[in-house]
Amino acid sequence: MTKVHAGRIAVVALVLAVPATSLAQDGGFEPPRTEWGDPDLRGHYLPGPYQALETPTSEWVPPEGANQGQGAAFSRFFEPDPDAPARPTPARPDGPMIIDPPSGRVPFQPWATEQRNEIMARQDQLEHLDPRVKCLPAAFPRAHLPVGYNTYQIEQGPGFVLMLYEWNHHSRYIPLDDSPHIDPAIRLGMGDSRGRWEGNTLVVDTTNFTDNTWPVGHGAPPEGAPGSALSTGHGVFHSGQLHVIERFTFIDANTIQYTATIEDADVFSQPWTLRYNALQRAADDHMLFEYACHEGNGRNLSLMTGIDVEAARVHPIP
Amino acid sequence: MKMPQVASVLLAGAVVCGVAAHASAQTYDGPRTADGRPDLGGIWQVLGSAAWDLETHNAQDGIPAGLSVVDGGTIPYRPAAATARDTNRANRLTDDPVRKCFLPGVPRVTYMPWPFRIVQTPDHVVLSYEYAHTVRIVYTDGSPHPLPNDFWMGDSRGHWEGDTLVVDTTHFNGQTWLDAGGNHHSNELHVVERYTPVTEYHLDYEVTLEDPRTYTRPWTMRMPIYKRMEPGLRLLDYDCVDHLLDALSETEGGAR
Repeated sequence: MTKVHAGRIAVVALVLAVPATSLAQDGGFEPPRTEWGDPDLRGHYLPGPYQALETPTSEWVPPEGANQGQGAAFSRFFEPDPDAPARPTPARPDGPMIIDPPSGRVPFQPWATEQRNEIMARQDQLEHLDPRVKCLPAAFPRAHLPVGYNTYQIEQGPGFVLMLYEWNHHSRYIPLDDSPHIDPAIRLGMGDSRGRWEGNTLVVDTTNFTDNTWPVGHGAPPEGAPGSALSTGHGVFHSGQLHVIERFTFIDANTIQYTATIEDADVFSQPWTLRYNALQRAADDHMLFEYACHEGNGRNLSLMTGIDVEAARVHPIP
Repeated sequence: MKMPQVASVLLAGAVVCGVAAHASAQTYDGPRTADGRPDLGGIWQVLGSAAWDLETHNAQDGIPAGLSVVDGGTIPYRPAAATARDTNRANRLTDDPVRKCFLPGVPRVTYMPWPFRIVQTPDHVVLSYEYAHTVRIVYTDGSPHPLPNDFWMGDSRGHWEGDTLVVDTTHFNGQTWLDAGGNHHSNELHVVERYTPVTEYHLDYEVTLEDPRTYTRPWTMRMPIYKRMEPGLRLLDYDCVDHLLDALSETEGGAR
């Protein structure tokens, strides 16, 4: 993960040179404006419908009786919650979220493909277990991919956008200025974001990530599938070099299209881009509820890893 | 999620009136929002030793001494609750919920030694805390508390009395403490916080706690909250769970 990649600067320059018009597809929809004249994204949103991240491969066939993935439970430890709030179920779009590369697959470097398979084969070990199951943050774009119990609230003021995530009570404050990213020594679970408007599109540039979250992964992988056979994005990992450029564009009064370009020259052979109608406007009386993730998670972690988390979970701060 | 919001209107109204107006003379001349409220937007932090113990305490290893922030000096516990506090205090290194990385509750989150950001809109105020990326959304739109779910951070509804933001919080789960010294409450806790800007750079913070199962009467704590003024300041991360899992991996010898 600490290899030197001389080509990275050139790759970054290429991505930044792609004209915004080729990435934003607002279809000419004119969003409302805030009192100070910015496109108005304020409000509550639900995640969009399930859509596969990657083009499925045919190299692995689920054994008889195993969960078949996608909407199925994550593993034998997780069953669908009968009390979960109902979600709108628009038709599932065909095709994967990944629009570049055209293969619709995460462009791993060869060693990283093996690493992903290793991660998925060792989900019973704390070190490799899905960080979301451990109640660690979801990096981007994962925090905007569909997951149960997540909804969004967006606030704006002159010079900033604040995004609140119901899942695990995350938030990110996005200054809309040209200030540089924070000191590279600082590492943040949700990264350090800067935003700007390109027409009606909010463009957010995020760096300074930790290296122990996943950038994608949603729905549920079929039990026993190697990472390379998945279409859900589970096991895709990143280094501290992760750099994400997101675009939020209203395509109609109720839908924000989300486009994210992911760069990490330590892990991927090229930048890759996904697009998805990630935010669907919620009913007027929607509110975010407290999602206390870790507080009730000890038993789950113990079941999955064999560690007596309840007994060992006292953390030494004064 | 779309819960009918019924009876609690009366309750919330009664509670708010009961605590009524210390409404301070309007001496604040700092910035204001478009709707005329004091603009509390920015990053704030409490200085002091209340996070370790709200009452007067001498220094211990790693803990700064402090004078009481409680009106009258001591918390008016019922006898059994005072005993529970002493037990909590004796076992605080293992029993403090914050040491288990549980959400810290209200008002403790305010005076823990981490900064927090206020984002203010006409109908709600968002408080986002660096500690464990805790968030409170304080509705100031006149809406009532929801049906009796309970929450680690309670349910917060606010209103303005002159220049004072008054936040009424109920629906606690009773599993949080008030400080690292074992001071505690039950799930009947009702907290009224009053944030009064005095200058652009500090707020008077006054908190009244009512919990008939734990205290013999309502009681009040007060302390200033200071604006953080460093240029380029950001909220950073204190992801408690991340550190806890690291410690767990080490004690378990890494992978398992």
